[in-house]
Amino acid sequence: MFVRHLRAGLALGLLLAAGNASAQQLNNQQLISTLSQISKAAPVIDPALLTQEANANVGKGVAGQPNWSQLANLSQLLVEIDFENDSIAIEPKSYRTVGLIADALHHPNLMFYQFLVVGHTSSTGDAKHNLKLSQQRADAITEALATTFAIPRNRLSSVGVGQEMPVDPANPKAADNRRVQLINLGRIK
Amino acid sequence: MNRSSLIGGAIVIASLSLAGIGRADTMSYADAVTALAKDCGADIKKVCKGLNLGNNRIQDCLQQNQAKVSPTCTSTLGQVTASIQQRQAAQTGFFKICAHDAAQYCGGVKGEGNILACLLNSKRVDNGKCNQAITDAGWR
Repeated sequence: MFVRHLRAGLALGLLLAAGNASAQQLNNQQLISTLSQISKAAPVIDPALLTQEANANVGKGVAGQPNWSQLANLSQLLVEIDFENDSIAIEPKSYRTVGLIADALHHPNLMFYQFLVVGHTSSTGDAKHNLKLSQQRADAITEALATTFAIPRNRLSSVGVGQEMPVDPANPKAADNRRVQLINLGRIK
Repeated sequence: MNRSSLIGGAIVIASLSLAGIGRADTMSYADAVTALAKDCGADIKKVCKGLNLGNNRIQDCLQQNQAKVSPTCTSTLGQVTASIQQRQAAQTGFFKICAHDAAQYCGGVKGEGNILACLLNSKRVDNGKCNQAITDAGWR
């Protein structure tokens, strides 16, 4: 189905919106084309195992864990979704980003694919609390997608990883580390 | 060509374009919630603090607190809700409305995305209901 999107040396993990303002510049076409670069060799990921690994490694990082280290091989992008402080409420200024994800996930190119939302925090605050909050925030995003935006629930899963996989390991407290990964887990079985 | 068929044609064209004006265009989910954030963002932060977008919580909160919410927000909320439903209906309807055109012009094509791409490239779909369905679904 996606032969025309398949290229040698796929740019997996394309960073589209790590900066502050750039989340607004995401557009529907970028989302669809980035997320539909499916590799035949893509690993099968079980979100429950990711949760297990994250819970067992609080404060120690998960980059070397068997399941977390596989994620980089899947089609994905990073988005910035802001929440109220210490809360699961998505800030109104980030509604658009969630809406853009919904538009992409409803498109025929992606409509039969499953997606994983991974929530990350910076290392400010308690690691255990960060893990819990990031899981709740990832859940809040999939809940909004599944209800307000009518994406079938069986296409969505969510995992929080707290501060355990910083995008900038040299500066774990940096705001860049707060981010949401949207990962294509492959066609619905 | 005789005169009556010319007039008939003109009437058909006129009523088609009237129908076009009467039917509201659908809006992307992103644009719909951007309008919500713009017109209701301040109200949401004021009266719906801590609530999330999912499960109608923001919608319910804004409706329950209508007395405290700006009239612009209340009116936008109604439009946004209607717009999301329209877009959803259009996207669901696409497969049924375009099934005939897909079979006729894109017979051997496999995969939903490729069928859409084929329909978009097929000039013969241009004036039909399927063409409109693609536009309403936001897939152009």
